Amino acid sequence: MEDKTIISFANVSANYDGKHDVLTDVSFNISNGAFYFLTGASGAGKTTLLRLIYQLHKPASGTIRLFGRECNELSRDDISALRHKMAIVFQSYSLISHMTVFDNVALPLRVRGFSNDKIKKLVTKTLEWVGLGKFANMYPMELSGGQQQRVSVARAIIIQPEILIADEPTGNLDDENASRLMELFIQMNKMLGTTVILATHNKKLLETYKFPVITVDNHHVTFAGAADKTESLRRWKGPQPQNYFADLSKQLEEIGKDK
Amino acid sequence: MKKTKLVFSIVREQSIFMTVVISVLSFLSVLALGIALSVGTGVMRWNNAWERYATVQVMNTENTANIKKIFEENTSKIESVKEISKSEMERMMKSWVSSGAKISNYLPQMFEVKFKSANDMKIIGEKISQKAKFIPHSAALKNSISAGWKLVSITIFVMLLMLASIGVCVSCISRNIALLHKHELEILNQVGATDKFIANQMQIMVAKISAIACLIGFVVAIPILELILSTAHSARVGLLATLTLSGIDIIALCGLPVFIVIFAVYLTKRTTLKLLAGK
Repeated sequence: MEDKTIISFANVSANYDGKHDVLTDVSFNISNGAFYFLTGASGAGKTTLLRLIYQLHKPASGTIRLFGRECNELSRDDISALRHKMAIVFQSYSLISHMTVFDNVALPLRVRGFSNDKIKKLVTKTLEWVGLGKFANMYPMELSGGQQQRVSVARAIIIQPEILIADEPTGNLDDENASRLMELFIQMNKMLGTTVILATHNKKLLETYKFPVITVDNHHVTFAGAADKTESLRRWKGPQPQNYFADLSKQLEEIGKDK
Repeated sequence: MKKTKLVFSIVREQSIFMTVVISVLSFLSVLALGIALSVGTGVMRWNNAWERYATVQVMNTENTANIKKIFEENTSKIESVKEISKSEMERMMKSWVSSGAKISNYLPQMFEVKFKSANDMKIIGEKISQKAKFIPHSAALKNSISAGWKLVSITIFVMLLMLASIGVCVSCISRNIALLHKHELEILNQVGATDKFIANQMQIMVAKISAIACLIGFVVAIPILELILSTAHSARVGLLATLTLSGIDIIALCGLPVFIVIFAVYLTKRTTLKLLAGK
């Protein structure tokens, strides 16, 4: 995989209402295909950092570049276009309660103008992959927290994003579901080359997976560990490339070719 | 086949409120426009009906022959001439004149003339007025016609007021819907929806509601308008009796609900885009 910078922060500062500084003079580069944990105390600015990357928050100063493109002066439509290559998963799931699981997962495809036939194929396949094939016609409130989180993940991966941002996705999950979710993210990273940034408080996750860590502390960020993909793969004990994801990835690509 | 599925779900109360408000306002708009058009058409017909009529009063009976000669020389411009006999005039005037007087001594020679066109009437009128009194009927109806046009202006003003109310109403409801669905808007933004896509979702929803509401308003307004017109016709004479709707008027009336729907959809788009841009 080509090692190029996909996310770049240069002297970025962020605040809310022009007063409360959250991040000050933050600079870093993240390469394409990397997997990072993002950690820090509550209120340290993890979510703000993720929102800055996802263009949900404007920096007070500094420059953010995504996919080599400077984002400061982008129009709302340009930002929407950038988000077509990114996905975000929140701890709170961010699902639309009056829409079924199927329609929630289909949302990014509808936004991109896919036909109903293609949507049906893609959503069915993706729901099967996250183990929710039987829940397609149910509403989010009828599902457990872990299942809702998987719906949220299905919605994120269905577009095969180049960057996946996850804000405490395991926060509401038990250990088993948290591990299952981590497997999904790692498979995406390995199989699709998706750059993953996963914010977490869970020390067990940090110790188990040993991916490089970005720590937000006192308005600044520090990096620990090398983004060594070979090392990451070696540590990975889950299903290997010939598994379902390879098949899903191929099918998503085939179905998605012609909207 | 591509089919846009709505992300927003308008709650029942909002939907009913919006439908009722737009129904009432479109009902009043259709009624106001219907009255404006029927009065306008009535005024024009009434005006047309009398604009070729004139009364010729020959005070000096020695001029009667000259006047008759003008009529004979211009038969191409005159449709009909009716001479009102002395006895007929005497009968008509009797109630206003004391019984002892010999009315016929005071009565002029009178003709009711119908011209082929308003222009013909103007040309012949100029010739006649040198020898007799020439009174176009339209002159006597000026006040009624002027009142008719004022009525048209007032009802059009009422209709514009209704349309402005619909505009304010749709704009406020769209804004409320967007604010109430802030969560859905954020999710749509997160999955890469453009402002146009979001506005489109709102437009589809408002188009459905306003189409139903306008249909209700229109269906209720038309029989009431018919009732008003038939009541006016029962007057038999005068401006009221001429109130009617022409074919073009009916097309315009049918077009009003369509216009309201388009207007509502346009306003929804404008409001939503402004809201999304944080203006």
